[in-house]
Amino acid sequence: MEKYFKITLAILLLLTAGWSCSSDFPIDEDGLLITSRGQCYVSNFELLGSDFQTVRSKAPVIDTVAQTINVEVFFGTDLTNVYPQFSLVTDAKLDPKITGKVDMSDLANPRQWTVVSGNRQVRKDYTVNITIQP
Amino acid sequence: MKRKYFYNHSIWLLTCILLVSACKEDEYALPTLKPGLQNDAIKRTLGPNVAGLDIEFAYAMAIPDNEGRLTSARVEASIPGAVGTWLENNSYHTDGSGDDIPTQMGEPTSTSGAVSEMTFTRDTVASTLRYYYIIPDEARGQSVSFKFSATASNGQSVSFDMGPYKIAKMEMVRLLTAVNNAAAYISIADMTIYDAAGAAANPDKIDLVYLYRAAPASFAHALVSPAAEAQYLPGVTLPAGVNKSTRVRKAWAIKDFHLAQTEVGVYIDDLDFERLDVSTSPNFAINMKAESGAWVETADGQYRAYIYVNSVNNGGQSMTISMKRYSMN
Repeated sequence: MEKYFKITLAILLLLTAGWSCSSDFPIDEDGLLITSRGQCYVSNFELLGSDFQTVRSKAPVIDTVAQTINVEVFFGTDLTNVYPQFSLVTDAKLDPKITGKVDMSDLANPRQWTVVSGNRQVRKDYTVNITIQP
Repeated sequence: MKRKYFYNHSIWLLTCILLVSACKEDEYALPTLKPGLQNDAIKRTLGPNVAGLDIEFAYAMAIPDNEGRLTSARVEASIPGAVGTWLENNSYHTDGSGDDIPTQMGEPTSTSGAVSEMTFTRDTVASTLRYYYIIPDEARGQSVSFKFSATASNGQSVSFDMGPYKIAKMEMVRLLTAVNNAAAYISIADMTIYDAAGAAANPDKIDLVYLYRAAPASFAHALVSPAAEAQYLPGVTLPAGVNKSTRVRKAWAIKDFHLAQTEVGVYIDDLDFERLDVSTSPNFAINMKAESGAWVETADGQYRAYIYVNSVNNGGQSMTISMKRYSMN
């Protein structure tokens, strides 16, 4: 009797463990949850200089329809070594990833980043246009 | 069955007894006085050891009252200290307010070469003396060790070794004042600031030009290479031959204690210069603020430096800077 009880308990434990480990959402190649959210936009943008202080002279203008971010930076900003920071809608991610300083000194060819929605079905390319404060 | 219960109860009882006995506190007893002359030392200064600054130690020595009195203390450095190195003739204790209270132990000490010595004139069995070793320039990049020793009236002697301590290779200069259109030419090689005449006499040693411009507002106080674009040197006529292009990277919140003398625990060391990479940095830094700084590499790559801005004065159009410099050779 005791033997049957132990076996039943062990099976129940295994089933519980297996059930608790199963996920509701799949995981993408970055280990991030792929959710049901389809929103795909940039909510805020910051640009830091080599001293990790902002180089913006005023608030960025983010156009989620035209998919552009217009930023004006201080005169004399070292644009070869800046750190862009994107704030995205929930569950979205950025491609390519920003892993360190970025060279944004080529003003004629503005840099682009792609925002990918939480469900990974929507991709939107955002262009970051930089102007220098006169 | 009875035996099983007996064993179970016995184990529980033993566990409880062990727990109770393990928690019993030993009664406090006064520590036993070690016989003979004893000594100990601590290093009181923190951070990298930079030539020109001191390394401070506290050297403590004591002997039981019934065995004798302290007669002398001595420190020997492996490299003779610079002028100002001395073994203090006061012993200190801390009062209720936390202040150090000195008690004179002997006549002012003598330092000869690498040795500092003091002879006790006060009748004492315990003393803590402070030793200030001024790091000589010739010790840069080397290691220095110290041998502290003491003697007692009963003939006993003890010694205590401290170190070795690495002496930083970098050099330092503090509180230089740069003035717009006057003493504005900064030389990393000479670690000084020249006026136009001095710059004209040493054109190959001028790495940066200090200038202040009220407009645009984001210009303000700037450190600009002589070879920078003209828009970063508005209204500046450089002395003949002043044409170096020095890489500059702005920094913030790096308030090195030696340079700023306000924050404890932040130090720039040789390693920071060895790992510095300003190869992609521009040759100018404008809008420098008080307490900011700039990592710099000279055009020939011979020197790397960190320039800390101690203060700026918009009205006086000036900037007070301090500098640590590291030679790459």
